[in-house]
Amino acid sequence: MFDRSVHVLASFEWSVIWDSQGALWGGFKHTMKAGVVGIVLAYLVGLVLGALRAHRIPILNQLAASYVELIRNTPILVQIFFLYYGLPVLGIHLDVFTVAWLSITIWGGAFMTENFRAGFEAVPQRLSEAGYALGFTRLQEFLYVTLPIGGRIALPSTINSAISVIKNTSLLLLIGYPELTYVANNIQSNTFRTFEMFTALAVYYLAIVWTLSALIRFLERRLALPEAF
Amino acid sequence: MKRLVVLTIVLGLVVAAAVAATFGSAAPARGVSPQAKLPPKPKLPALPAAVKARGKWLIGVKCDTPPFGWQDTSGKNRGYDVEVARQFAKWAFGSTSKVDFTCVTTASRIGTLTSGRVDIIISTLTWTADREKVIDYSVPYYNAAGRLLVKNNVAVGKLATWMPGKKIVSTSGSIYDRWIKNCFKNTSFQVVSSPAAGVLAVKNDQANAMMYDDAFLVGVAANDSSLKLSSNIFLKVPWGVGIRKNEPDMKRWVDAAVRGMRNRDLFWSILKRTIPRRFWKTFRPNAPSPAHKLQYPRSSPPENNCPS
Amino acid sequence: MNPLPEWFRPVSEYILREGVPETLRMAAIAVVASLVIGVVLGTLMTIRFRPLQWLIRFYVEVWRGLPILVTVLFIFWLPAFDVGRHHVQLSAYQSAALALTLWGSAQVAEATRGAVQSIPKEQHEAAAALGFGWVGRQTFVILPQALRRMVPPLVGLLVNTIQNTTIAFAIGVNEVLQAGQRQFENVTSGLTGQPVAPSYAPFLIFGYVALLFFIICFPLTRLAAYLEKRLT
Repeated sequence: MFDRSVHVLASFEWSVIWDSQGALWGGFKHTMKAGVVGIVLAYLVGLVLGALRAHRIPILNQLAASYVELIRNTPILVQIFFLYYGLPVLGIHLDVFTVAWLSITIWGGAFMTENFRAGFEAVPQRLSEAGYALGFTRLQEFLYVTLPIGGRIALPSTINSAISVIKNTSLLLLIGYPELTYVANNIQSNTFRTFEMFTALAVYYLAIVWTLSALIRFLERRLALPEAF
Repeated sequence: MKRLVVLTIVLGLVVAAAVAATFGSAAPARGVSPQAKLPPKPKLPALPAAVKARGKWLIGVKCDTPPFGWQDTSGKNRGYDVEVARQFAKWAFGSTSKVDFTCVTTASRIGTLTSGRVDIIISTLTWTADREKVIDYSVPYYNAAGRLLVKNNVAVGKLATWMPGKKIVSTSGSIYDRWIKNCFKNTSFQVVSSPAAGVLAVKNDQANAMMYDDAFLVGVAANDSSLKLSSNIFLKVPWGVGIRKNEPDMKRWVDAAVRGMRNRDLFWSILKRTIPRRFWKTFRPNAPSPAHKLQYPRSSPPENNCPS
Repeated sequence: MNPLPEWFRPVSEYILREGVPETLRMAAIAVVASLVIGVVLGTLMTIRFRPLQWLIRFYVEVWRGLPILVTVLFIFWLPAFDVGRHHVQLSAYQSAALALTLWGSAQVAEATRGAVQSIPKEQHEAAAALGFGWVGRQTFVILPQALRRMVPPLVGLLVNTIQNTTIAFAIGVNEVLQAGQRQFENVTSGLTGQPVAPSYAPFLIFGYVALLFFIICFPLTRLAAYLEKRLT
């Protein structure tokens, strides 16, 4: 088996990766398009719903909680198919790109909601009390105290959710969205160069994921709240 | 005493003749057709060693493409391709159950074959010159034609004039995929992950038309009063059994089996078993028969034939 | 009165009978294997031997960093290879189980490392003072405490693994989602003898699949939350 691995390594054709780099880069751009849109919107959803939940606004809190539980307890692929096959039945005609970012936004938003809720709830009470003592309204207190501090606390976990969103864009190949994995899979089917394509995919995805993870570690150190709090 | 012996011998001969007649006629002949002269099983070359040693076939079929390869609600594989596979099992091992099916999709079937997971694939595999560089084809076992599924109020006319600017859907890796990319550069092509998704896309105005095999589309149009097939028929290319390259004994056996089935008009029986009765007339010409052999268009690859 | 439409009953039976056992089997194998491999790797990571730590760290970061779909496609497309005299080729089901195990074991390894390192040094010293060797210390003192702390995240891993079995859809394993998809094809084509479904079929079929996952995962998620609270 050892000499088989050596054989595989020896026959590794870098030229295949080189020739496909245009197609792979195109796929990568599609991944980032849907991914970035999904992440930004998920942050917005998470911020708003997380605030709702942390402040226990009646009715809306329960609705948000149901949304979160539904999304967290069903696989994202089922959600993607449900949107892709189901929306047209309701008369909602969306192109593949829209279904792509919409589905990952809905999924990511649920996780971000929980991330932000935990962050907001972790803000020490005396700080929000200080805000009220200064005459802030509830909204002002949220904007000037809870959001900045709670947001920083939540930053590492939200970036983790963002990483998951990027990784889940690979599933969009199953609805025909030409992202990175779709492109690599196509090339692999035509050329049978499995190892080369996998290496290319691994480099792309791990570059994104490892960079973002390093960002988390950096931020955790830089944004650490001073001990005085 | 001598008369008794003669009587016994004559009686024995009569009984033997009667027995021979009974058993002899149980085998072939339903009627006076020329197939009656053929024995039920053709003379087949030696079964490839790996298959013989295993005692059963491993065949890749579709599981989501009625009426060729699908699964009924009890989980049983059914369809035209599946019946062909069962006939192979019967002739190789004497029983239609001596075959294990592996589900493949359009995108995964060639990889599944070349990676050795199955012996052969019988999975709506249209012949293309490109594919023949990677795998071998048996002699054809079905002749499909491409059709366009559109909404009732759409008038198509000539393809060359209608196609530019339109949005067409089909499945990934199909012959339609290549043909559109070759011949209709101004047509937008959208891949769908499955035939049903394509139908939905047309019904919901996400695409102007779905391009796919006639057998599937005819069924859909028949059951949906808002959809119809345009009159264009194109890409008439036969399907073959997919065989790995450099396996001459496998190719010999499969070719002999397909020829044997064709000469006994078994493909017509299979068609009748797998397609609803009201479509029999439409699809009779698609199945090979003793009078109607199918051939691959090797001299002019179909996906390069662009309509004028 | 049965509110479910006529065409749906055989569809739901097929999904339940063919798809659910396949999903649960894959998840069970993956979780058990992930636990075994992950705990071993995670414990080894705590040994102060740099090369070993880097090796295991690499394993963890690769299989956690890659989308599981990419892993499963890679394993599935690998050509067959020979180990000694045996010709090895993984089926779709085995490829999916292996991919889930690689990911799961990386998660468990990381969780184990964190849990083991959170055990106060005094425990190690006390165990050593009692005469336990390294393996003995881990087995009888450290790991039992670490594993207790890991139970809530492990329940979370189980939930995630069950949901991640849907990636096997891409390579044709007949798990719950694939079963739903096949039935969807059958009832749309009108060629299978099954009653043809109306246009809202996708909602019912994929909604049903989602419901099945929810019924399995929601109690487990609640359990994980409860266990987490009990620990602190």
